[in-house]
Amino acid sequence: MASNEPLPKVLAIDDSEPIHRLLKVRLQYEPIELHGATEAQAGLRMARELMPDVILLDIEMEGMDGFGVLQALKADVNLQDIPVIFISATASMEDRVRALDLGAIDFVEKPFEVVELKARVRSALRVQHLVKMLAQRAQVDGLTGLWNRTYFDRRLLQECSEAQRHGRCVSLVMCDVDGFKKLNDERGHPFGDMVLERLSRILQGGRGSDVACRYGGEEFGIILPHTVGIEAIEVAERYRKSFEVETWHGAPGKVITASFGVAEMAPGGRLMSVADLVAAADAALYRAKLNGRNRVEAAIAANPAG
Amino acid sequence: MRLSPDSTTYRSDFADDPDMAEIVALFVSELPQRMAAMQAALAGNDIERLRTLAHQLKGAAGGYGFPKLGEAAALIDRGIKDGCDGNVLRSRLGMLTAIAGRIRP
Repeated sequence: MASNEPLPKVLAIDDSEPIHRLLKVRLQYEPIELHGATEAQAGLRMARELMPDVILLDIEMEGMDGFGVLQALKADVNLQDIPVIFISATASMEDRVRALDLGAIDFVEKPFEVVELKARVRSALRVQHLVKMLAQRAQVDGLTGLWNRTYFDRRLLQECSEAQRHGRCVSLVMCDVDGFKKLNDERGHPFGDMVLERLSRILQGGRGSDVACRYGGEEFGIILPHTVGIEAIEVAERYRKSFEVETWHGAPGKVITASFGVAEMAPGGRLMSVADLVAAADAALYRAKLNGRNRVEAAIAANPAG
Repeated sequence: MRLSPDSTTYRSDFADDPDMAEIVALFVSELPQRMAAMQAALAGNDIERLRTLAHQLKGAAGGYGFPKLGEAAALIDRGIKDGCDGNVLRSRLGMLTAIAGRIRP
């Protein structure tokens, strides 16, 4: 794990205060951030707020027991992938089997050996790191390193709902490489790939808050949270200019361009759904193509024809 | 868990661990009230409460370097699970109380 990443969070749910004090002392030199809850409901609440990387869970607690907590965790889509280590003074084989069957990743007996507990926490953290990495990789485009279509759809929905809830703007820029099919045919797919990678680097190097995604083929979608359409046009114009001046190895003097379509979802505006927003940006992109390519067209309120 | 030279008191296995000193002292200082709560639970026939307290002590005592205390608490936990009667539990709680009374940080 890189050193600039935040410390992994470990949440201990146990109804015994002395156990929390013990964990705090025994794990104090581990590179983790330890949190504790002394009761099942409080533990579930903290799990939702903290999104811990590992949960240490006591089996026998008054009220809801550890099995109940584990079932609640596994039933929650946001929490179900967090590895759970059972820590219990109850050493019965049946309980261990039940815990593992319910989805616990490991089991530590109380009183625990400190070295063993640390090793098991580290092992669970490694698993969690891999799970997170795989989940992220499933959302990244292999060629360009941009977010993929799956991520684009989810993120755009999220940004649009948030913009509507808080009465803010969100803009969308759709972008397409001009004459890409011809480029591919004339110069081969490796050249086409290089073009896509180069454009991706430009889109990725924009403002920190902008979310550049590969929409499909040679088409890209850039989500611009908290951004009005006028601003989004300027951003798109900067991308357009940066791309057209690129020089191409093996093709001296070759100018490759891209067209851009911009749309905004604004409070009181006419675009009210994600589908509307995408369709409007797409229509604007189509107009940019019709109007000669290598240009930015917009569908914003000031331009009702869009 | 170490017997003192004069065999009258027990000390924690972690008595020499500076990281543990503070919480071991706290654990020991809380023992009398923990024992009182267990005695009250047995006297009031609140067996479920007695079991929770015994179970918690069973889980924690070893971690604080008092394994014998944990084993004595486990006997009560086990006894309740096995359906032992009040006399057995009373005698086991007596044993636990005797050990607890000799524990020092």
